Amino acid sequence: MKLRRLLAVSRKEIVQVLRDSRSLLIVLLMPLMLMTVLGYGVNLDTKHIKVWAFDREGSPASQDLLRRFQASIYFDLVRSASDYRTLTDALDDGRCQLAIIVPHDFSARLHDGRVVTIQALVDGSDSNTAQLAIGYAQGVLSGYGSAVQAEFIRASGGPAIMPALSVEARTWFNEELESKNFIVPGVAAVVMAVVGTLLTSLTIAREWERGTMEQLISTPVTALEIILGKLVPYFALGMFDTAVCAAIAVFWFEVPFRGELATLVIGSGLFMTVILGLGFWISVLTKNQLAASQIGLVAAFLPSMLLSGFTFPIEQMPLGVQTFTYLVAARYYVVILKSVFLRGTGIGALAWPALALSIYTLIIVALARRSFHKSLE
Amino acid sequence: MLERLRQMLTKEFIHLFRDKRMRFSLVVPPLLQMLIFGYAATYEVKRISTAVLDFDHSQESREFLDRFRACNRFEIREIVHQQSEIPALIDHRRVVLVLQIQPGFAGLLRKGQTAPVQAVLDGTDSNTSLIAIGYINQIAARYAQDYQLEHAERLRPSLAHFAPRIQLEERPWYNPNLESRWFFVPGVIGTLLLTTVIMLTAFAVVREREIGTLEQLMVTPIRPAELIIGKTMPFMLIGLGDVFLVTMLGVLWFQVPFRGNPLVLLLGTILFLLSALGIGLLISTACTTQQQAFSITFFCVTPAIMLGGFGFPIASMPKMLQWFTYLDPLRFYLVVLRSAFLKGAGLSVLWPELLALTILGTSALIIATLRFHKTLD
Amino acid sequence: MTANGNSVEVEELVKRFGDFTAVDRISFQSRPGEVFGLLGPNGSGKSTTIRILCGLLHPSAGRATVAGYDVVKSPELIRRNIGYMSQKFSLYGDLTVLENLRFYSGMYGVERSVVQERIGWGLEMAGLRGRESSLTRDLSGGWKQRLALGCAVLHRPPIVFLDEPTSGVDPLSRRLFWELIQRMSDDGVTIFVTTHYMDEAEYCNRLALMYRGSLVALGTPTELKLNSIEGSLLLLECDRLGDAIGRVRAIKGVRDVAVFGNALHLVVSDDADVVSAIQMALEADRIVIARLQQIRPSLEDAFVALTAGRRALPSEAIAQ
Repeated sequence: MKLRRLLAVSRKEIVQVLRDSRSLLIVLLMPLMLMTVLGYGVNLDTKHIKVWAFDREGSPASQDLLRRFQASIYFDLVRSASDYRTLTDALDDGRCQLAIIVPHDFSARLHDGRVVTIQALVDGSDSNTAQLAIGYAQGVLSGYGSAVQAEFIRASGGPAIMPALSVEARTWFNEELESKNFIVPGVAAVVMAVVGTLLTSLTIAREWERGTMEQLISTPVTALEIILGKLVPYFALGMFDTAVCAAIAVFWFEVPFRGELATLVIGSGLFMTVILGLGFWISVLTKNQLAASQIGLVAAFLPSMLLSGFTFPIEQMPLGVQTFTYLVAARYYVVILKSVFLRGTGIGALAWPALALSIYTLIIVALARRSFHKSLE
Repeated sequence: MLERLRQMLTKEFIHLFRDKRMRFSLVVPPLLQMLIFGYAATYEVKRISTAVLDFDHSQESREFLDRFRACNRFEIREIVHQQSEIPALIDHRRVVLVLQIQPGFAGLLRKGQTAPVQAVLDGTDSNTSLIAIGYINQIAARYAQDYQLEHAERLRPSLAHFAPRIQLEERPWYNPNLESRWFFVPGVIGTLLLTTVIMLTAFAVVREREIGTLEQLMVTPIRPAELIIGKTMPFMLIGLGDVFLVTMLGVLWFQVPFRGNPLVLLLGTILFLLSALGIGLLISTACTTQQQAFSITFFCVTPAIMLGGFGFPIASMPKMLQWFTYLDPLRFYLVVLRSAFLKGAGLSVLWPELLALTILGTSALIIATLRFHKTLD
Repeated sequence: MTANGNSVEVEELVKRFGDFTAVDRISFQSRPGEVFGLLGPNGSGKSTTIRILCGLLHPSAGRATVAGYDVVKSPELIRRNIGYMSQKFSLYGDLTVLENLRFYSGMYGVERSVVQERIGWGLEMAGLRGRESSLTRDLSGGWKQRLALGCAVLHRPPIVFLDEPTSGVDPLSRRLFWELIQRMSDDGVTIFVTTHYMDEAEYCNRLALMYRGSLVALGTPTELKLNSIEGSLLLLECDRLGDAIGRVRAIKGVRDVAVFGNALHLVVSDDADVVSAIQMALEADRIVIARLQQIRPSLEDAFVALTAGRRALPSEAIAQ
């Protein structure tokens, strides 16, 4: 391998990248856009759930219960309905997400010690919000139940003491449990997946389509020189984007950064190489830009988004899928990112993901090189 | 004119289907995307890996901890005996939760006072932590309530019969088991369609421009309107084909129910596709190479998906972003999709969304056509 | 070079693509310093042959050596010793003239000490001095071709392969281009050219005529012109060309009839009676003869004659 040829390829590639101002602009704005969208848009803390109440009894007790719903930060008590049909209609067209139905014999049952059932109709089409809504509703009911029970015991002359449990939760690494701290560090992985795979997957395919590849392979340049040479500008772009992401995360979103910068740089560099190699391989195989973009989307971008543990926790996925995620390079990078931002662990504890990424790098570059034939067939 | 149109359509379809790689990338990536999403995307927190540390060793503490064992959401993985073991467990991600009961737990309860329970959580996955805290609170509240009642009963046995008991009966509408898959799968159809159709449309035009055949086309008697229809019609058809494919996969493989009227879905899809085609066309007027087309498409589609209500509720987003989503056709199409699958809603309910889609779609196409006209001259 | 001093040797070369045989058992050699032309219509296998010689395609059978190296065993060694200009223009349009030159000097490993000089030479040759910073895609056809040639020879290879280098270029530029080729040949470079322009073929030292994958004839332009026609060549200008063809073909002694522009070329036996027989036949049909005389065969005539036996129709008009 001759360094000179490699540098010649790099130089040409850099000139081409810099000269394509539209793509360049997009690539530079990508971290900003993704950070904004994911940092602000992605919000798993659900509030303002639209609640309708159907109070069949209308007693002070039931009103009290409904007031508690009103008081909860999670619920917006929007309307009171006077019949069942109105409720179901509202559920159908989305004006109502949770309907609370208080039975007509609410107070009586309470008084007699019979079980009182509050029906909660919840819009299951948004299962996540539904899940959370039910949880919060149960919380409200719990509070109400304890209060009523305590009152009852006191009124019956029972012991004034009230045993209770208080849960002191301490969260490590992400004290306020803000979802932004959870999401934002991982965005760098997504940005890299975009810049890395998607753009490199087009570069070799494009030369095939335009015919410049035929000219190129008639020269002494080797497959490895072409691959590594083209890697350079995209590597630089990717690292730049990562730096921008990190800066935005820390200074704008105020995500804590507890680890070492060196760890971030090394981890990013490794992941960047893997993802670029993947892009090249796709490009080498498809020789067609449209096909390459589609495959790049599915093979690189989606797994980085969905299977890396970036948004959806891997432990909650079906076991088969969990095993599959070991193949997803982004998974290891997300671990490194979260550790560097939130946990503050040093490179030592990250030996395992770093090693995985290194092995991945070697394999993928070897694959790309093997698949690249200096011939027209 | 009809003849020219027919020829253009034939040519486009030949482009798309003759190349084996193209055929592959039109069918396989959408299906793969569906599969990946279907399996990976989940908000359900089914397994919270837990460790318990019981310093009290009382009957109360054991009973309390047993409630967690009984709850199948908590997976008790470790029983520790020293506090010093905790950091290692969390750092190495062995557990995400450690429940700790201090000595004197039972004593406090018996005296009718508040007994603390410590929970240490790994906050790097804030969603799971939030949900876990919710469950812990619920179980603790329940336990306290039961304990209080038992306690009171012991002193005044007659109380037992009259103690108030409130419970929540959750009735999830449309999605009885609150499977998040039922939430995501219809959504995936929308996002898939948006990405694929915009990209194909943009690429189709830009590809010809890049290779140079567009110039050749323009020299023929073909009129701009015919060119536009010729370039967009195939993708309307492919889009519909993809919807059908992916819907089949969702219904037959993931067993998501389809309760609505297929015709309503068809109408909504066609209206949505108008927007997608318009945007694709618009993008094609802004770029000269396929790489640019890809970058710009990606840049526009990602926010549309993230903010469109696909995975995260729009109501939780900052107000300004919410206003922005009114321009996002995906937002409305997702409502149509979810209603069509899960709610079985018809025109009477969905007409606002369909109207919005019509407005957005026709505007997009008009703007795109005008711009396209200009670039052809 | 091979042991016997040939720059290129091809022996029973075959290339099949599935059922289609693109190159069917061709053999030839070329000497250093020769301008060797592969002549033939589109689809005759010229480009395929060149690509095999450059190591871009593998032969299905047969052997070929370039600069003494076997195309199958040592393609990389070949690449160091050749320059290649592909049929489709394939320099980087979004790079400037200078950037393309610099890039290829790096690719071909031009010695650092002489890079500047070689690039300067390339600019001179292409006539692009002063336009170093123009984007390549903004150049017109003729300049592009010369630049592509320049990029292909920066490393002074002993052999250069040019695949239809002047297609789509104006006649003046074509002439200039061929002057460049001539100068390189004078310097001892072997130039391998494919073309379907018959007039350009005249510039070659030797020609190989290819038709539908087979080698139809091999020789200098003069040899081909003289030896390919059995008999004499007559030029016939008249009206009602269509009728004339039918009439003339029926005459004994007329071996072949071909349309050339708005006249006919007739290959006739060296029989003294033939001419008068033709005149009589045409007069009988009231066809007016403007001119009927013997002419010297051109390469095109040679080509038509040589491919006579292989053509499906008796007289395929050859578009010029």
